Amino acid sequence: MSNAATFDTRTDTAIPVESPLAYSYRRSGAPQAGGSSRLQLRERAMLGHLILRGGAIVLDEAVRDVLGLNLPGRPQTLVQDASGERSIQWLSPDEWLVIVPGGEEFPLETKLREHLGSAHFAISDVSGGQTLLEISGEAARELLMKTVIYDVHPSNFPVGKGVTTVFAKATTIIRRPSEDRWELVVRRSFADYCYRWLLDAGAEFGVNVQQ
Amino acid sequence: MSQSKQQMFRLNTGGRIDRSRTLSFTFNGQRYQGHPGDTLASALLANGVDIVNRSFKYSRPRGIVAAGAEEPNAIVQLGSNEAAQVPNVRATQQALFDGLTACSTNGWPNVQRDLMGLVGKLGGQFMPPGFYYKTFMAPASMWLTYEKYIRKAAGLGRSPMEADPDSYDHFNQHCDVLVVGAGAAGLAAALAAARSGARVIVADEQEEMGGSLLASRETLEGKPADQWVARVLGELASYENVTLLPRTTANGYHDHNFVTLHERRTEHLGDTAPVENGHRQVRARLHRVRAGQVILSTGAHERPLVYAGNDVPGNLLAGAVSTYIRRYGVAPGRKLVLSTSNDYGYRAALDWKEAGCEVVAIVDAREAPAGDWVDAARAQGIKIITGSAVIEAKGSNRVTAARVAKIDIDAFKVSGPVQELACDTIASSGGYSPVIHLASHTGARPTWREDILGFVPGLVKGVQACGGAKGTYTLGDVLAEGVEAGIRAAATTGYTAQTVSLPSAERLQQGPAVALFQVPHEKSTLRGPKQFVDLQNDVTAAGIELATREGFESIEHIKRYTAMGFGTDQGKLGNINGMAIAARCLKRSIPEVGTTVFRPNYTPVTFGAIVGRHCRDLFDPERYTALHHWHVERGAEFEDVGQWKRPWYYPQKVNGKAETIQEAVARECLAVREKVGILDASTLGKIDIQGPDAREFLARVYTNKWEKLAVGKCRYGLMCKDDGMVTDDGVTSCLAENHFLMTTTTGGAAAILEWLELWHQTEWPELDVYFSSVTDHWATMTITGPEARKLLAEISDIDLDRDSFKFMDWRSGKVAGVPARVFRISFTGELTFEINVQANYAMHVWQTLFKHGEKYGLTPYGTETMHVLRAEKGFIIVGQETDGSVTPEDLGMQWAIGYDKPYSWIGKRALTRSDTKRENRKQLVGLRPKDPKVVLEEGAQIVLDPKHAIPMPMVGHVTSSYYSPILDSGFALAVVKGGHQRLGETVYLPMADGQTFEAEIVSTIFYDPKGERQNV
Repeated sequence: MSNAATFDTRTDTAIPVESPLAYSYRRSGAPQAGGSSRLQLRERAMLGHLILRGGAIVLDEAVRDVLGLNLPGRPQTLVQDASGERSIQWLSPDEWLVIVPGGEEFPLETKLREHLGSAHFAISDVSGGQTLLEISGEAARELLMKTVIYDVHPSNFPVGKGVTTVFAKATTIIRRPSEDRWELVVRRSFADYCYRWLLDAGAEFGVNVQQ
Repeated sequence: MSQSKQQMFRLNTGGRIDRSRTLSFTFNGQRYQGHPGDTLASALLANGVDIVNRSFKYSRPRGIVAAGAEEPNAIVQLGSNEAAQVPNVRATQQALFDGLTACSTNGWPNVQRDLMGLVGKLGGQFMPPGFYYKTFMAPASMWLTYEKYIRKAAGLGRSPMEADPDSYDHFNQHCDVLVVGAGAAGLAAALAAARSGARVIVADEQEEMGGSLLASRETLEGKPADQWVARVLGELASYENVTLLPRTTANGYHDHNFVTLHERRTEHLGDTAPVENGHRQVRARLHRVRAGQVILSTGAHERPLVYAGNDVPGNLLAGAVSTYIRRYGVAPGRKLVLSTSNDYGYRAALDWKEAGCEVVAIVDAREAPAGDWVDAARAQGIKIITGSAVIEAKGSNRVTAARVAKIDIDAFKVSGPVQELACDTIASSGGYSPVIHLASHTGARPTWREDILGFVPGLVKGVQACGGAKGTYTLGDVLAEGVEAGIRAAATTGYTAQTVSLPSAERLQQGPAVALFQVPHEKSTLRGPKQFVDLQNDVTAAGIELATREGFESIEHIKRYTAMGFGTDQGKLGNINGMAIAARCLKRSIPEVGTTVFRPNYTPVTFGAIVGRHCRDLFDPERYTALHHWHVERGAEFEDVGQWKRPWYYPQKVNGKAETIQEAVARECLAVREKVGILDASTLGKIDIQGPDAREFLARVYTNKWEKLAVGKCRYGLMCKDDGMVTDDGVTSCLAENHFLMTTTTGGAAAILEWLELWHQTEWPELDVYFSSVTDHWATMTITGPEARKLLAEISDIDLDRDSFKFMDWRSGKVAGVPARVFRISFTGELTFEINVQANYAMHVWQTLFKHGEKYGLTPYGTETMHVLRAEKGFIIVGQETDGSVTPEDLGMQWAIGYDKPYSWIGKRALTRSDTKRENRKQLVGLRPKDPKVVLEEGAQIVLDPKHAIPMPMVGHVTSSYYSPILDSGFALAVVKGGHQRLGETVYLPMADGQTFEAEIVSTIFYDPKGERQNV
């Protein structure tokens, strides 16, 4: 066993939770551009986020068995299950981000630890520390060009790619799970800045925020 | 037509303007009319406005000279209201729109009747180059006074005094091929690259793409050249891989093919951007382009000849005359004299004649000009005076005559009698200078080509020049070069180019040009009438000659001495002429005088575009904790810690009046010492460390020992850089045998994670350990004070018994129904529990604590109170007690150094140096002011002898100083040389106001020296 402490930070009871954007909705609202909107923005809050670190070969075996997904071995790639609800993204040569439906992260971590046994690896739960913002609509790419310095042209950013890059004056993980959908993973403490930035940059295209 | 009466220089036909629509505009308070397609400059010329400005130094009347970015005179202030003011706009680049309001930037009270002109005329005599350096530098104290008036007189516009209603943004662009300039060369290059499938961006600074082809008398495939332009643009626009950016200037060429483009999106439409769908459109955009290959097809600027009186309104560039006639349907005068050194200049005379105006004469510096355009001029019956030049323009507010004479270029003298030709316009052409500004930004030195009498760009990797920018001026060759550059750029970026069939251009016979820059006058340069080299900066040929006589030999020095090519002008018209004059005076060749260097930006960029959206509340990220809105609602004042907003203190209303910071902090301090306080400590950096070698790794990065820290225990750690100086501190807890949670300072979180990765990846890759930031995952709530246990017990299932959950232990359990890790560590010296929950639950837990805490007097406190409480206990803050020059021993923290650890650790080597062992290093001590009412100033210098003559030897300074409510006294922490041996001594703190405070050196622990309170 890895001899690390595991800790389920979630509770089953009906305890209220607040997403990283809770304050932002209160302060900046959730604009509705209606029919003229060329841009949709949606927070996918409360998902399970795990950082996996270790050697690609052992981790690949484990996630195949436990999650039924390949570990993306190629840099800057993303794999997802058929539903798109579970994904693994390459972050660095020994680092991956796993995102699963909220509440699945602790059982997943436990199973992975069992499977990995005495191999050298690390799993860190960061579910409370980041949130996922989904961007779609015909102006999505223009919005991203205003926001991230990375080249988001389809020739450089095909579906299934994901990178860590600069978001205005913060950082973000950006990924493209499907043809018309982009996802940004932003840190909780920067989420309000990122939200305000996206509303501002997107205003000229008409933004619809889905809560 | 009444309209044509007003626009008395407007031609009845020709040009790319829409005569069916009339736009009205205001210049210097006068209303005028123009047409869509006009620039402000062409509309002013159409209305016969000769004087558009007053010159910078001599306040001479100035008129429009050029038709593009190189215009030195027609620099205007734009804007019909205060908020819309834009300085530094070239009238030649500003599209006319209905209601446009502009005025001259120079000239007071106005350009026609200029008071500064009198000063200029008198003062001009006394304003040789270097005048400002020589005159205004002394006395230094007067400079501010001088500067105010010099700036006012200098003009160049003013910034608006009201907030800008417009918005601006940035676009991050990436492409395979960036084509700068969409003239003949650029369009051919873009077409070749685009057909290959490469991602192409085409940027062109003008209202319409096409460059000189829009006003060319040459044909392509036997048809007017602009038809080819329209066809190519149509094809380019149909490609998804092509981005066309008109009205977009490439202003800066930075390292690694990073080019900044300034796109003016709405400046042709009005003062402020129009509103669409309820949103004001972006007025200007800065494209930050990373290009695989850059093609510079920026064309060439025509060089004016330098002759006496060449700044009188009515002196224009020959090419500009053609452009105004052919593109804008304006003849900028009635009677033209053309002075040229080459065949190209002839086109102006041909266009002038075809427009139905009188060409008085073509004055050609060559003895025997020959070529198709020369023949065409002869065929038109235009008089050609050879071997001669216009040596002087007569007139004050407008040219009235040209003085023409035979010249001997080699001997630099007038060699024949002078004749005076009556005219109102003098066009001159001294050949072309390739526009090499962008290439020059990269630091590559241009090279002089004698055959074209111009500098061609030096090129770094990944850039090509083609067409005029490379000194190629024959249309057919220009197109061929463009295609070739496009194909090569596409191939370099991995695309296979398709064939591009070139349109057939006319093959024209041309005679060689002669090298003529400054035209000789009957009088010597220094004694004759002024011959202007740089019109914008009022630099004359005499000024350059004087500079060389005063010993300035390098063109870089001459530039700085005379101001040639300064500022927004960047030497577009004048630099080469200036170098030629310097070369003549120094009896050297032009390349021997030096090359010319240009800097970004090519033309002025509005600050809005530079700033983009990084302004106001988006200027910098604000990081919030999960409890931020509670703090806001509670009325907290915030302190910036890195990018975090941390509650600083929570002022309460007392009798309807808000507490001062002192009152609030005193109340918060006492609440913690006597009852219980709560702090949002979520901002502390948290690093999850896992792996069998985690413990060993900690031992190597911290100064103290970790081998015996048991699961369930916490330990304070001190971290040094390899120089032995303290860089971070914090508590690290053992979660499991192979699992630790490190906390860092708030500001240090990101840097420490990088530091750990650096050492792991480069020095100790053999250690099996991983690090991940969990800072944002956990929210941390610190409850501290004698009542803390009682409060926590009400809402937690954790056994809080003092003997089972000891100081420096951690436990997990539930708090307010939420899974939590609770750490018994203390930064206040009081009984403390640090509750960590997943951040999404933080608000619930915090509110539950308050629900139960009221009866215990639970008081939220901020960073200021935290600082006071920790200082009372002598706990350091890295960055406050330390400044990168303080060792653990300086801090008196020998207990936190494990010199006998089996493996070396970061900083150990440095801590054994003689300097770090020195006895008289500045060491951390406590200071108790003799007068308890005194709160010493942080940063105050400490001396041992207050009677010592100034400069007094300073032995240290105050690092932290506060009023302590529990001690009812001021107290401070300080670093003092040899301080650890000086306990009980008196030191002095002389202040700026003459007061001197006395203080006693004491222990750093002011409260509860035995540390009993945190252990209860």
